[in-house]
Amino acid sequence: MRCQHRARTCGRTLGHGWRPAGLAIAITFCFGLAADASAGDQVDAISSALRARDYDRAIELTRDALKGSPNDVQIWTLQGIAFSRTGDNTGALAAYRRALTLSPDYIPALEGAAQLQYQAGSRDAVPLLTHLLRLRPDDPTGHAMLAVLEYRDGNCQSAVGHFAAAGALLDSELDALHAYGTCLVRLKQLEDATWVFQRTVALRPDDARERRLLASIQLMASKPREAADTLTPILEGGAVDSDTLELASSAYEEAGDTARAVSTLRQAILLDPRNPNLYVDFANIAFAHQSFQVGIDVVNDGISLQPQAASLYLARGVLYVQLAEYDKAEADFEKANELDPKQSLSAAAQGLAAVEANDLDRALATVRKRLASKPEDPLLLYVQADILAQKGVEPGTPDFRTAVSSARKAVALRPSLAPARSVLAKLYLQAGQTQAAIGQCRKALASDPNDQTSVYRLIQALRKAGDKSEIPGLLKRLAQLREQAAQQERERYRYKLVEGERTPAPSPPR
Amino acid sequence: MRVTRRTFMHVALASAASLSAERALAQGIASHTAKPLARRAPSGRPFLSRFVDVAAVSGLTAPVVYGALEGQKYILEAIGCGCAFIDYDNDGWMDLFLLCGTRLEGDPEGASNRLYKNNRDGTFTDVTEKAGLKAVGWASAVCVGDYNNDGFEDLFCTYFGQNRLYRNNGDGTFTDVTKAAGLWTVEARWGAGCSFVDYNRDGHLDLFVSNYVQFSFTHAPVPGANTNCNWKGIPVVCGPRGLPPGTHSLYRNNGDGTFTDVSRESGVSGAPRTYGMTVVAADLDEDGWPDIYVACDSAPSLLFVNNHDGTFREDGIVRGVALSDDGGEQAGMGVAIGDYNRDGHLDLFKTHFADDASGLYHNDGTGNFDEVTRASRIAVETRYVGWGAAMVDLDNDGYPDIFMVSGNVYPDVERKLPKYAARTPRAVFRNLGNRTFEELQEQAGPGVTEAHCSRGCAFGDFDNDGDVDVLIVNLNEAPSLLRNDVTGSGHWIKVKLEGVKSNRSAIGARVLVHAGDRTEAQAVVSQSSFYSANDPRLHFGLGNIATVSIEIFWPSGAREVIPRVAANQLVTVREGAGIVPNKGWGKR
Repeated sequence: MRCQHRARTCGRTLGHGWRPAGLAIAITFCFGLAADASAGDQVDAISSALRARDYDRAIELTRDALKGSPNDVQIWTLQGIAFSRTGDNTGALAAYRRALTLSPDYIPALEGAAQLQYQAGSRDAVPLLTHLLRLRPDDPTGHAMLAVLEYRDGNCQSAVGHFAAAGALLDSELDALHAYGTCLVRLKQLEDATWVFQRTVALRPDDARERRLLASIQLMASKPREAADTLTPILEGGAVDSDTLELASSAYEEAGDTARAVSTLRQAILLDPRNPNLYVDFANIAFAHQSFQVGIDVVNDGISLQPQAASLYLARGVLYVQLAEYDKAEADFEKANELDPKQSLSAAAQGLAAVEANDLDRALATVRKRLASKPEDPLLLYVQADILAQKGVEPGTPDFRTAVSSARKAVALRPSLAPARSVLAKLYLQAGQTQAAIGQCRKALASDPNDQTSVYRLIQALRKAGDKSEIPGLLKRLAQLREQAAQQERERYRYKLVEGERTPAPSPPR
Repeated sequence: MRVTRRTFMHVALASAASLSAERALAQGIASHTAKPLARRAPSGRPFLSRFVDVAAVSGLTAPVVYGALEGQKYILEAIGCGCAFIDYDNDGWMDLFLLCGTRLEGDPEGASNRLYKNNRDGTFTDVTEKAGLKAVGWASAVCVGDYNNDGFEDLFCTYFGQNRLYRNNGDGTFTDVTKAAGLWTVEARWGAGCSFVDYNRDGHLDLFVSNYVQFSFTHAPVPGANTNCNWKGIPVVCGPRGLPPGTHSLYRNNGDGTFTDVSRESGVSGAPRTYGMTVVAADLDEDGWPDIYVACDSAPSLLFVNNHDGTFREDGIVRGVALSDDGGEQAGMGVAIGDYNRDGHLDLFKTHFADDASGLYHNDGTGNFDEVTRASRIAVETRYVGWGAAMVDLDNDGYPDIFMVSGNVYPDVERKLPKYAARTPRAVFRNLGNRTFEELQEQAGPGVTEAHCSRGCAFGDFDNDGDVDVLIVNLNEAPSLLRNDVTGSGHWIKVKLEGVKSNRSAIGARVLVHAGDRTEAQAVVSQSSFYSANDPRLHFGLGNIATVSIEIFWPSGAREVIPRVAANQLVTVREGAGIVPNKGWGKR
């Protein structure tokens, strides 16, 4: 919804681009093309009427002129301009179309028609703009308009090229820049996206929302220090909001400054104590630093204020699992499910808690029970497949077939669920379906290039397939990933959260 | 990445859901874990082998001193050492050699490596001093081989400090020839596993030595000092992670009693630095040239594949024996080599840490492996820290079983986490004959269920009764000598090789015993299990097969087939000469 709104806003903004120039160009062009004196007089008269904003008069003059010169492309175009000025877009489009039938490369008609279609949000603008850009490849307005249309239709791959070609035209167009940046994010071109959102921040340096957007992208691009720097002006500005604090906390944590991450998050919680996300964030930090009880204590504070927040029970349950307090975890997952039956995470978590308790059979039973009511849930399907794989199901057995079909269905329902692809690759390897395993490994790596397991399995699968050319490169990649993971683990475990003096849980605002 | 609640859940679930590759708590040991498989109903088949610890009555009463009894300060105290079956006097009866450690505060009274001569009546006599093998230090591993081809097996012992080569003088004594042989290292290293191996097939045994960690008392951190000095949140000895890993060495035998360090030119020292442990050298890809497998702790294990030109290439990851099946590093300690599915190829079994399953790797005959730990149901057991192991037919039913010893490496953890006891029982995985195993406990006898803090173990037939017994190092206790009492009518055959063109010990030979429609492969190795050396007489259980043919691939490259050999005997085969008389062994 947000993107479509931006697209419409973009459209309105960019649609103005051609209008003043277009009219002048059209009129000048028409003057230039006037072949004979009488046609020239007529064009002159029509143009004067247009300049005088006497649009009805201009329309009447074009009708008279067309009686004698029905194939005069300039007059048709001027008629189009006149109609569009009166708001009669239907009449305008008809006139432009007539002009283009007579002269398909006639730029003023192309511009006029494209603009009208664009403003109407019609896909019919696309061929017009495309044609225009073939004739005038460096037209930034044409590129910008086409970019917005492509963005709106979800064709980011096509859109980004046009956004780039629009160049400086976008520098003052916030919504267009947002659209551009969003497309780059979708295409995982995060460096370029960062650059685009830096332009939006340059437009509105004091706008916290713009800075948060940029910081979010910088975090996605694994540049947490830059993200923190982006947020600093707001943080130091005085009137900081909890969303900004939350994001800053993520940035500090990613940058390895856990102490600051925790203090910033605590600040956010104090500002917005009823926001469950903040407690979940804290749980995540506690989890990462093996400080499970501290995480539980903080989540407990959240639950006391938001006793109906399913996510908090889920978070606490996960932390209980790490402490091997499976009964408490089970109770929390049940509660989460009761509060929000539509989500499947708690069911999956229950299954995994049973796995942690070394009870694979119970884990499977739990997940299957939930699957009975949610047969299309990709997460549950993945967990079922994974549990079966861990039970050592043998190829050719019904359980093995179930594992494969579960994993396949999971990835069909959610193609980005990389762990499901990893399990599927494993099962294919076991079954000797090497090419299928290779395919799944590649897709898993497309979602998560840092997935060591998929890199390893791809090496094994390629070796079995006798295709060794890629293996040396993959071995290097695996070594790099292992080193990176080890480094991250060392950084993460530098800190452990401990309870200081417990400050009272934040009270709900009166 | 912005931490949304969804992200946290996925992260947490992925962490929990990575069922076989859970990155657990910060610690010095590889954190790969695996969930144990549910145990199936027992097969109900009787296990006709029973182990009884006869160490005390045999005369093996001296404790293997190794580190502090509690409050250990350094990982050096925790790793322990190996042992060997060696017929040092060539009388046809296996003698025993046990390494020993020491303590930080000084060498305890009586601490020494020990050589026990087999009295042939179920007892042993300590001949350590007489043999010239009295030594105390932080001993690690032993590998056995006749490096000078004089017909007497020699000993190489690795240490933290200085490794030692003991030449068997043939008269009941040994001489420390480390310096003379060119094996003296100027700087102290932590020698780990070792193996004699004729890597260039010139008939002389060369020597491969793995190194564990670069350790120094001056710089080593103490328990709790950093994240590598914790296990499940409890301060423990640090490492190996956080300590610089060792590099490995290959020494070429010059044929004149000396060795030359060829680590660099062979490519061995160019391999990734790892925490090397047990070494097994065997022709894993069946191309006639010995390869070298090194179990590594908290790092990818290594497989050096012989290029036939004096060099090796390290191929562990590609060939599927370096990491877990999901690409995770494991704490690899001991290695067993054998043919669990009797397809004629040498498979590997590697012991791992607690909360992880020890790994079984099936060889497809080309030196490429598939991990079959779960498929084989070995993964029912994840409670113990595994050390020495062997893949050997314990009950002579024709199917190689797996025997493993265990013992915690952090003895102080037991107080806070009783589930991680310091002393734990042995494990016997009985081969069901369908590529799966079932774990036995009481059925295998009291020698298996007794709990000890064990490390190295060697497998051999000390009483020459046609089965496989087990010698086990127990830290700070007397060793165990598990006598195997096999009942039933299962046939067996033992094969002893003598090289002529090949090295005298025939290390590197691959032997196939064809029994009916079954073929079992074994290899003559200098070290396996954990830091230990087995009885070189290869034991094959035959079940109800009474006649076999024996196919030998000699290290020299020669191949020999001996048809129609009757079961229930030891056959000694001399290269090129066929079966020759045994030494000191009569038909049962």
